[in-house]
Amino acid sequence: MIKRSFIGLTEPKLKCDLVEPGPKEPEAIPIPPRLILLLNEPLDSTKETLVKKGDMVNKGERIFLYKESKEYVAAPVSGTITTVAPFTGDFGELATYLVVETNAKQDIHKSFTESISIPDIQTADSYLRGIAGNPPLKLLAEAADGAKSNGINIKKIIISGIDQDILCTTRQFALTRFRDELSKAVAFLKQLTGISDISIVMPDALAKLSAFNGMNIVKISSDYVDSLSPMLMDKYLGISFVPGKTCEELGLCFISVEALFSLVKSYSQKEPVYEKIITIIDKKGKKSRVSATIGTPIHRIFTKIGVETAEKDRIIIGGPLRGVAAYTLYYPVTPDMDTLMVQDSSVIPTISDYPCINCGKCVRICPTNVPVNVLVRYLEANLYQDAADSYDLFSCIECGLCSYVCSAKIPIFQYIRLGKHELNKIELEMIKEAENV
Amino acid sequence: MFKQNKFTVSHAPFWHDGDSIKEMNLNIMAAALPATLFGIIQFGMAALGVVCLSIASAMAWEALFCVAAKRPIVIHDYNAAVIGMLFGMMLPATLPWWAVITGTFVCIVIGQQIFGGIGGNPFNPTLIGMAITSLSWQHLFDFNTALVNYQLTFTALDPLAALKHQGASVVAMFPTSSLLMGKQIGAIGSIFAAGLIAGGIYLIIRGYIRWEITLSYIAGIVVTAWIFNITDPVKYATPMFHLLTGYTLLGAFFLANETSSSPVNLIPMIIYGVIGGCLTILIRNIGAYPDGTIYAILFINLINPLIDKIRPKAFGTIRPKNSGKECKQCVK
Ligand code: SF4
Ligand code: SF4
Repeated sequence: MIKRSFIGLTEPKLKCDLVEPGPKEPEAIPIPPRLILLLNEPLDSTKETLVKKGDMVNKGERIFLYKESKEYVAAPVSGTITTVAPFTGDFGELATYLVVETNAKQDIHKSFTESISIPDIQTADSYLRGIAGNPPLKLLAEAADGAKSNGINIKKIIISGIDQDILCTTRQFALTRFRDELSKAVAFLKQLTGISDISIVMPDALAKLSAFNGMNIVKISSDYVDSLSPMLMDKYLGISFVPGKTCEELGLCFISVEALFSLVKSYSQKEPVYEKIITIIDKKGKKSRVSATIGTPIHRIFTKIGVETAEKDRIIIGGPLRGVAAYTLYYPVTPDMDTLMVQDSSVIPTISDYPCINCGKCVRICPTNVPVNVLVRYLEANLYQDAADSYDLFSCIECGLCSYVCSAKIPIFQYIRLGKHELNKIELEMIKEAENV
Repeated sequence: MFKQNKFTVSHAPFWHDGDSIKEMNLNIMAAALPATLFGIIQFGMAALGVVCLSIASAMAWEALFCVAAKRPIVIHDYNAAVIGMLFGMMLPATLPWWAVITGTFVCIVIGQQIFGGIGGNPFNPTLIGMAITSLSWQHLFDFNTALVNYQLTFTALDPLAALKHQGASVVAMFPTSSLLMGKQIGAIGSIFAAGLIAGGIYLIIRGYIRWEITLSYIAGIVVTAWIFNITDPVKYATPMFHLLTGYTLLGAFFLANETSSSPVNLIPMIIYGVIGGCLTILIRNIGAYPDGTIYAILFINLINPLIDKIRPKAFGTIRPKNSGKECKQCVK
């Protein structure tokens, strides 16, 4: 953990880690006997589900919850479904989880293989959602299909070789690992999406590699916040950030290098790719990389590579500033899980219920000039609308630095995420109501 | 859902820079220590008694109030201790015990706790205590009479009181070097200018006070005093004299910076500091009191919420660079 330095005159500058030179191949984690899949649709107890306990699925077969469902999760292995149960996400959003028991014999589901002769974004979206790296297929497919675009018009695709938190290196690893095939992959992506404005963002240090000569490269410094999408877009791509709008709404689509190569490989091998590369950071900060099938419970990974976890430790999905804590070792590998980190119980910082003492550290460090010291008072009082209207809640790019430095140890970042979540929920409800009238 | 293991679940960020309110307060106390120790050496056991009683009673008031208000007792964050220490530093060594205790009551309860405790006070609690006690018992705060029994080897006059009564001719009696080295009469913690400067610089380097406020406060003092001085050098003292006497340095490094009653944005900090410095000199030179620091800082505390509204535009709220047009510089 990076602590405050003795000289506190200027605020700390956090740097993102660079991928190590000459990285080793990720260690392959064997397919476990049981996988857990998350499906982004709540269970409705009044309806009969399409998928049932005891159903057999083949690798790559899509599982829909109900007949009219649009969301699906693809089975990463062939097996038998043993559980269909409700799951609650980080902010209480409702979803469903399924347990698949792996079969000894692995068959590939045919429908994808049969329909892929020409790359086309609609078929890719119909079959390849949730492959390793989680390419934004749904977004691209809907934007391409005018009727469903919701005003989203993707003009530019950014292939992201930078990670979203300071210790993470998975995307950079994928970039160096696949660098020689990158130009072919870009051509493939152009063909698949019909969008020709494609750039690759990568850290300054990696851009020197000769493999990238002649490509559309955007070089990013290793200063922590530069790598976050809104900042990157505003600072390096010249597209102004608009509070409350996502990069997608502004015409940008990000796809990680790994996701791109999963797509390419799924087409070339005629079989969806479900092996996710994950960087594991143990308690001492040592990094290793594994490749695990989506759905693998994370304890399998820890056991396999000998990372210890004890009571009261913290398991973090993502990095130290923006990640999410997992409450169980049975949490599955998800398509976008780039980093897993274990933090020893003895170094977990406490939070407090102190009020803001107006020390101003958050205001100094905030890269987006959010008046955090005032904002936090409104958020603590649940005045989300005021926070958004007068105190720039939506200018926040969720870097987590304000909480990192807060003298009073207020969980500011959580308040901010919650505030945004609540406001977005209200907005969605209003849209829904308007539609129903 | 799954089998439960007892892992710690909480929200990002999972790192913290390790700083805390306690850490900050301990650093402030450490920075105030040289000046306080000097005062104790100068004024003896009486001064030690006043400072200790002030710290102890401030902590006790906070604890008592928290019990009465059914709030958790948090004296281990040293917030009350800092208030008590600064209050003690501003007192004459001879102040009777009951005045000290009443003073800390005002600081803690009226200055802070009734506003909701730490972080809620609109004014610097120490100064609320000082303003009320010094107005109530003015004679106890006249440093010349209060310290009349001390045998001192230097000019035993309160420089600011002397200035008020005799004009700038007294400046010659207080060479800068003696003021720096604490050869003056005054409050326990305010006479050793060099110690206060050293402590203040330490706090600035550690980042525990906002240097912008300190510097602009000092700039306000220097510029205003200089203007007065050149218009009438016989009547008005030099900037250096003002800087090193009275509560000026204590104000610049320890009082104007109190976190919750001062601004956090750059331009407001500068306005706040300059007005504070300016007012201090105005009160000294044309007002009724020999030292204006207390009222000047209370006044800027009052306007703080207004001026701290001036802040930089947040990300994305400025002007669209390209409002809808294609981006220009993306491909290099
Ligand atoms: S998380 Fe905090 S520091 Fe980061 S942009 Fe948002 S308000 Fe600013
Ligand atoms: S860092 Fe924390 S205590 Fe300091 S001003 Fe910001 S919110 Fe308040």
